[in-house]
Amino acid sequence: MRRTWWIYLIGVLGLVAVAAPFAWMVLGSFKTQGELLRVPPTWWPEQPTGQNYADLFSKANFPRYFLNSTLVALAVTAGNLTFCSMIGYALAKLRFKGRNALFVLVMATLMIPGMVTFVPLFVLVTNAGMANSYPGLILPFLVSPFGVFLMRQFFSGLPDDLMDAGRVDGSSELGIFARIMLPLTRPALATLGILTFLGSWNNFLWPLVIAQTENMYTLPVALALYSKGQNAQNFGLLMAGAVVVVVPVLVMFLVFQRHVTKGIAITGIK
Amino acid sequence: MITHSIRRRLVIGSAAITATALALAGCGRSEETPSGGSQATTTVSEGPATGNLTVWAMGTEGENLPKLMQQFQQANPGVKVSVTPIPWDSAHNKFTTAITAQTLPDAAMVGTTWMGEFADLGALDPTPQGFDNESFYPGALDTTKVGGTQYGVPWYVETRLVYYRKDLATKAGITEPPTDWDGLKAMAKAMKEKAGAKYGINLQPGGSGSWQTVMPFAWSAGANLTNEDQKEFTFDTPEMVEGLRYYQSFFTEKLAGTDLPPNQTEAQFVNGQVPMFISGPWMAGSVAKLGGDAIKPNIGVFEIPKNKTSTSFVGGSNFVVFKTSKNKDSAWKLVKFLSDPKTQAAWFKMSSDLPAVKSTWEDPSIASDPLLPVFGKQLESAKAPPAVVNWEQVANAFDTEIEKMAKAGQSAEDTAKATQTQATSIGTGS
Repeated sequence: MRRTWWIYLIGVLGLVAVAAPFAWMVLGSFKTQGELLRVPPTWWPEQPTGQNYADLFSKANFPRYFLNSTLVALAVTAGNLTFCSMIGYALAKLRFKGRNALFVLVMATLMIPGMVTFVPLFVLVTNAGMANSYPGLILPFLVSPFGVFLMRQFFSGLPDDLMDAGRVDGSSELGIFARIMLPLTRPALATLGILTFLGSWNNFLWPLVIAQTENMYTLPVALALYSKGQNAQNFGLLMAGAVVVVVPVLVMFLVFQRHVTKGIAITGIK
Repeated sequence: MITHSIRRRLVIGSAAITATALALAGCGRSEETPSGGSQATTTVSEGPATGNLTVWAMGTEGENLPKLMQQFQQANPGVKVSVTPIPWDSAHNKFTTAITAQTLPDAAMVGTTWMGEFADLGALDPTPQGFDNESFYPGALDTTKVGGTQYGVPWYVETRLVYYRKDLATKAGITEPPTDWDGLKAMAKAMKEKAGAKYGINLQPGGSGSWQTVMPFAWSAGANLTNEDQKEFTFDTPEMVEGLRYYQSFFTEKLAGTDLPPNQTEAQFVNGQVPMFISGPWMAGSVAKLGGDAIKPNIGVFEIPKNKTSTSFVGGSNFVVFKTSKNKDSAWKLVKFLSDPKTQAAWFKMSSDLPAVKSTWEDPSIASDPLLPVFGKQLESAKAPPAVVNWEQVANAFDTEIEKMAKAGQSAEDTAKATQTQATSIGTGS
């Protein structure tokens, strides 16, 4: 025990560095604009106020933005988990002509920065009549090259013997994928799920551009709209909004992260 | 299949979003630049507006505009206006993407500095006849003119004044606000020496947007950003150097600081550390919010001190109609409604945006305000940056040179020369 005190010290320092901005954000959401701008800054709110939250929820349509964000993030996550694992499995375990070429193609798209394809994608989606709709918000992100890459690498690490055992026992190919192989990739699925959900939840530019009316806005877009003016910023509202935006992400993370470690322990034959 | 014009829009749209914007936006244009002619010949028809209209507006304006639209819809029962509020963050991206994909609304609020770019992309509809251009502040009207053609009308305006703490000024022995450059310098000195301020005045020592504080001095000294036809930049002139030298002298004489934390202007004003600054009308509200009722009677403003003239910066937003609109006639009727003096007064009460129409300033809600009439007076001579495509880029270069001048002691002459060299290589873009 004597020699481990410094480990705790490092741990505590790291924790402070990570958690302090969060604490500042949460505390800041209960401060008035005047107090937030004061020098020197205060740590605890002097006169805690719920006004920022009241403003936030009275401003237009907050439940609607929340619903939009949730719907889009869940759909995109579900799509990525389904399709990326299917493609990843096919690229890793099934033998067919052009498999490697296909994989290289997927990898190639990973190299192109999203900003370059942004405008062409927007034109494409608009011409398909999906501007200002949920399909327009969801469809372009249903499958990501990164997800395919992640799942393929993970499937590659699983032994082929498991599939052979399934075939011997008379399972269908779909059964082998869904009942044997897929459950083994739980840690990869959890990682992909967290990353995709986060990415979609925080996405700003695409929803901003694709939404043509306010009722299709997602949380980050609405937050930017109401907290930032041309010349002045409402910091209190921004903090309160950020707290509301962050909570579901935290919950999501807590749900998924248990599987990340759990999965590793139960992986197959050795 | 892809026509030249679509490909061009794709290139420019993508460029505006990616970091390569600087390189590409400059070379894509030309063929489609709107044809000359000062005023379009089309006129707005008589009778009420009809059909559906979609409108984009940024930030608080977007939030408040639906209330004003109710009045418009009452006056024009056949029309339905839907307003989409757009966040200021990335609003520019949203517009350029929409221009590329042709998914624009009928009409929109557009920042004055975007006019050159949007007009050059061929997105804006020239203003038809029948608008009383004399009614607007001339500086604001200039922001709607790109290459001799007018697009849209000014909607609301803002300009920059010198703010000062009245109580501390009294303490420093200043009874009348200064009207010339020597007076401003003397006041800053007195604030520092007699009123216990750390610095006399808060001037931005470079960084984004600092040109907006520098140019009022340079304009007042007789400088111009471009020549008459807005084809060439004119940074390297004796007048510009005079303005820059005056600005720099505040830093060399330690009357303005380069070591102040940013975004603390209001706080430093309230605690008396730096009791003067130059900014726009919104600062009165921000200062009052921070300092409470105690500070309100002590906020004073005066016009930019005179050299040859007293010329400040005019900003704000314009209202435009897009070429792609299928209901242009009604869209222009909406713009006409917005620039009506009565509507402007109603809008001021909803949004506290300062009216672009001069006669509205006689409305008691503005005329009886302790600070606003000074803004109105300054607006009469206030100037805007040229509505050229590459202005934002040139402004960035200018900001960097200003920083070198304020912080690293680069001479005013070298600053003017360096800015001119960069501005010339960037070009006006039109």
